[in-house]
Amino acid sequence: MASVSEMYDVGWEEMRDKLRKWREDNFRNSEQIVDVGEELISEHGSKLGDDIWIIYEQVMIAALDCSRDDLALTCLQELRKQFPDSHRVKRLSASAFKSSTARKRKISILKAQGKSTEAIRELNEYLEQFVGDQEAWHELSELYINEHDYGKAAFCLEELMMTNPHNHLYCEQYAEVKYTQGGLENLELSRKYFAQALRLNNRNMRALFGLYMSASHIAASPKVSAKVKKDNMKYASWAASQINRAYKLAGRGTKENKCSVKAVEEMLESMQITMS
Amino acid sequence: MPIQLTSQAYCKMLLHAAKYPHCAVNGLLVAEKTKDKKKDSHSEPVLCVDCVPLFHGTLALAPMLEVALTLIDTWCKENNYVIAGYYQANERTKDSRLNQVAEKVAARISENFSESAIVMVDSSRLTMSCFEPIVLIYDHHENKWKSREVTVDSFEDWSEAQKITSALLENRCYENLIDFDNHLDDLRNDWTNPVINKSVLDLC
Repeated sequence: MASVSEMYDVGWEEMRDKLRKWREDNFRNSEQIVDVGEELISEHGSKLGDDIWIIYEQVMIAALDCSRDDLALTCLQELRKQFPDSHRVKRLSASAFKSSTARKRKISILKAQGKSTEAIRELNEYLEQFVGDQEAWHELSELYINEHDYGKAAFCLEELMMTNPHNHLYCEQYAEVKYTQGGLENLELSRKYFAQALRLNNRNMRALFGLYMSASHIAASPKVSAKVKKDNMKYASWAASQINRAYKLAGRGTKENKCSVKAVEEMLESMQITMS
Repeated sequence: MPIQLTSQAYCKMLLHAAKYPHCAVNGLLVAEKTKDKKKDSHSEPVLCVDCVPLFHGTLALAPMLEVALTLIDTWCKENNYVIAGYYQANERTKDSRLNQVAEKVAARISENFSESAIVMVDSSRLTMSCFEPIVLIYDHHENKWKSREVTVDSFEDWSEAQKITSALLENRCYENLIDFDNHLDDLRNDWTNPVINKSVLDLC
């Protein structure tokens, strides 16, 4: 695997400055910090002078975030050697020992016992520390959905979309949550995010159906202007033709799917009637 | 008023729960549409001839559920069926209580079918032998859902249902069960499950 300096054509000073900028701006890009920091320490540690200690601290926190317990421990050991009586280092080591695996196990047990409220609380505490753990954010969003707390589920998905802007699944799930929350504003948001998911992956059938449903509902709402109604009918129409096309493509050659194709056509027709 | 389950409906519900043991699953029950509405027809049980597995995992989101209900409703009309009930198996296997999702979907179904029922599958009692029925059936009485005692009469033919379900579970046929989620992942997946329906017919 290519090194960071090779991939981005940067020297060690730029890497060091980048780390400083991320520290000062309180960036949570843990995976990047780990990549840059690990290489900087191992290849150019001797050139860093006293900066190395704050870099060890920064990398350790990021490493814990990414479940890189090995790296976190290495950084911690260096810090302890250098600052044996430091309170700051002691606090860091406390957070390292509350290792991510033990926390996760506890959360799984709470879930299995049906203690959703406690699981949610623990997961929230976990995420305060391990803010980059995507799986955990996703798990939390599902817990919130099951408790019908759609607002908080949306927040979790927003986090995921921010750190994974190219992931069509998060976009589509966010759109589904907004749709479920209901109301015109949420419907319009959901339509936008279904459309975005389709841009990222034009084969996402849920996004296509979602676009059709949300646009149809907006067009049918008595509260919208004539222009909004017209626009949404266009979106819905486009989505309907895409859905039909997808079913025809899938149904080629199999007679079982004929009834699916027909059912979809009829469903779309009947909905168009209620819209107009 | 009370519903009755055919072997096909019962075994497909259990196959769905068996395919996703760590998830909540749900689906719709369909019955044949009767032409006449006799006054004393409320004493005749509603025979649920088939079920359509819907989703696994997160059940509490609206858009795909709406799509499924509309699509399956259209399919029902083509085949002279009507959506007559809803089934659900909860994620934590020890919990077979009725929840908000079940009530909401059943309310939607009740708009078109007044005698709809909710069937909760108790997956903690799911075994290969299927020696006892593992469903709880709820009817709507006075604005509340009340559970009814499940007896052999809740099935068209319990011993046949037991025999078929057990055979299909042992042959791991649940691996081929298609639900609406699978269909959305790949449109070629057929949620009417013709392959499993044929297996059921062969075993009758």
